[in-house]
Amino acid sequence: MPHIDSIKQVSDVVWEIPTSYKSGMLVPARIYATKKLLDGMDAGVFEQLTNLACLPGIVKNAYAMADAHWGYGFPIGGVAAFDIESGVISPGGVGFDINCGMRLIRTNLRYPEVKSKVKELVDLMFRLVPAGVGVKGTLRISESQFEEVMKYGVKWCAENGLAWEDDPSHVEEGGFIKGADPSKVSRQACSRGINQLGTLGSGNHYLEIQVVDPARFFDRDLAKHFGIVEEDQVVVMVHCGSRGFGHQVGSDYLRVFDSAMKRYGISVRDRELACAPFSSKEGKDYYGAMVCAANMAFTNRQVIVQKVREAFSQVFHRDAEALDMHLIYDVCHNVAKVERHSYDGVNAELLVHRKGATRSFGPGHHDIPAPYRAIGQPVIIGGSMETGSYLLVGTSKAMEDTFGSTAHGSGRTMSRTAAKREVRGAELQRKMLERGIYVKSATMDGLAEEAGFAYKDVSEVVETMDRAGISKKVVALRPVGNIKG
Amino acid sequence: MPFRFLPDIALADIAFEAESDSVNGLFESSALAVSDIMVDPETLRSGTTRKVRISSEDLDRLLYDFLTEIIVVKDVDSLLFREIEVEVAADQKSLEATMKGESIDRDRHLLRNDVKAVTMHMFGVRREGGRWKATVVLDI
Repeated sequence: MPHIDSIKQVSDVVWEIPTSYKSGMLVPARIYATKKLLDGMDAGVFEQLTNLACLPGIVKNAYAMADAHWGYGFPIGGVAAFDIESGVISPGGVGFDINCGMRLIRTNLRYPEVKSKVKELVDLMFRLVPAGVGVKGTLRISESQFEEVMKYGVKWCAENGLAWEDDPSHVEEGGFIKGADPSKVSRQACSRGINQLGTLGSGNHYLEIQVVDPARFFDRDLAKHFGIVEEDQVVVMVHCGSRGFGHQVGSDYLRVFDSAMKRYGISVRDRELACAPFSSKEGKDYYGAMVCAANMAFTNRQVIVQKVREAFSQVFHRDAEALDMHLIYDVCHNVAKVERHSYDGVNAELLVHRKGATRSFGPGHHDIPAPYRAIGQPVIIGGSMETGSYLLVGTSKAMEDTFGSTAHGSGRTMSRTAAKREVRGAELQRKMLERGIYVKSATMDGLAEEAGFAYKDVSEVVETMDRAGISKKVVALRPVGNIKG
Repeated sequence: MPFRFLPDIALADIAFEAESDSVNGLFESSALAVSDIMVDPETLRSGTTRKVRISSEDLDRLLYDFLTEIIVVKDVDSLLFREIEVEVAADQKSLEATMKGESIDRDRHLLRNDVKAVTMHMFGVRREGGRWKATVVLDI
């Protein structure tokens, strides 16, 4: 981190930069990190977080989570809530991959039953879930059906035989965010998206077979609510988003906002921080289009999960129902949503941007599905393909402190080029196999770029959020089979 | 190489600087950089020709829209290119490009990263010491 005189430690793992740090800051900037993570954060996080604190209508604080690193406009790991009337909406606060997110499904299998079939499972899923440059999905739908996808997400899937009955209720927002407006989505975006349902994409996206880690089974009582009851129980995690569709929506509106800011007298310190009043025409148009992309992403992950169920069923010669392959939960980590929160003695609807940050609603919240309402929302934190991932729950403290938000993953610390210099894809694949992780990738270069050493220590990120009380650890999940896009 | 990668700009993504002694050359170099990130051009053939016309408000946005078009064509028509010729109009607000390449073949092409968007971060065309230069950061 750069030297910042005015940064002060608020509590164990919470740091604050006051408004006096930079001209134009409307609220303080808060960073959730251990001293080690704080010292390791790149200078961009502090610059971007304090830029974010200058945006019109921001309330309470601008937040960076423990996995924060430089992003476009907002830092990745950034959270900011804006007043509905006076605040702005920013595509840079959502990210290009709108509703990139995590999905976790369980099985009733234990690792000893699966170990000898991991290769077969991964190879089959690699065929069923297309990954890599320019791939198209196997689901063919009409333009009018794609419009339904944009509006109704997983609800559309349920009505069209692509979801189990309880799938929609186990997705954030019940499987679709209200307020989609397909008329605000460009033809180009639709053309990119219509053939991409059920595809994994590339970059840091993955589909992973994981095993409950007995040594890090933190809260067995909470885990039972998610159907995780056994040590060595096998689960499957999906990390992907809205593919080219969401990126095109992001690109289209970045151009719109870049021009619109002058009209609204808004100036920002970074072109990628382009924004417009949420109540303006441009703001409403982007929101309507962004929701379309968010619902497409929910659908994309749903179609992938159906393929995962098909693969397990084929390999184990049992129905997916008999394998208890229920969805534990699906969370967004790149999105802006209208939510009601209490802050500074006010209870109001706010536009909450979470970019590389996960919703972490605490017990009792009405948006949490009934089976989990008493314990809090499941929070899925994805690590690198080598280090494993975590399942946590949201907390009341997150509602009080961070507008119900926590971290999303581990965060990169090394460039793609540097990672490729360190290791070749084939060598990494072999080393991972020696450690019991069978990985298959659409590209060997891409595989090397996603090596574990290119990321922060996910365990320290998770520990930080647990110590801060804004999400609570339930169980760690270690990878045994991975498909890299 | 008419372009060079800038590894320290965007950790999670890929940035490059392209340069040429002409605007046309700059656009061609930038487009070839985008292609190079997605596929090893040595494994591509030039069997399919695609012509595009693009209009924009200014030279910066013209390059942004042109590179975006290459990404869109990759997703919509599964086409990647290895030869690209660009003619930018005198007012620098429109262009015509002829691009040669072929449909993605997973068995034959050495595919690399899927480029998803051109970002505005550090984006811009500039003239330096008589040469045209552009910095481009791509979302991967």
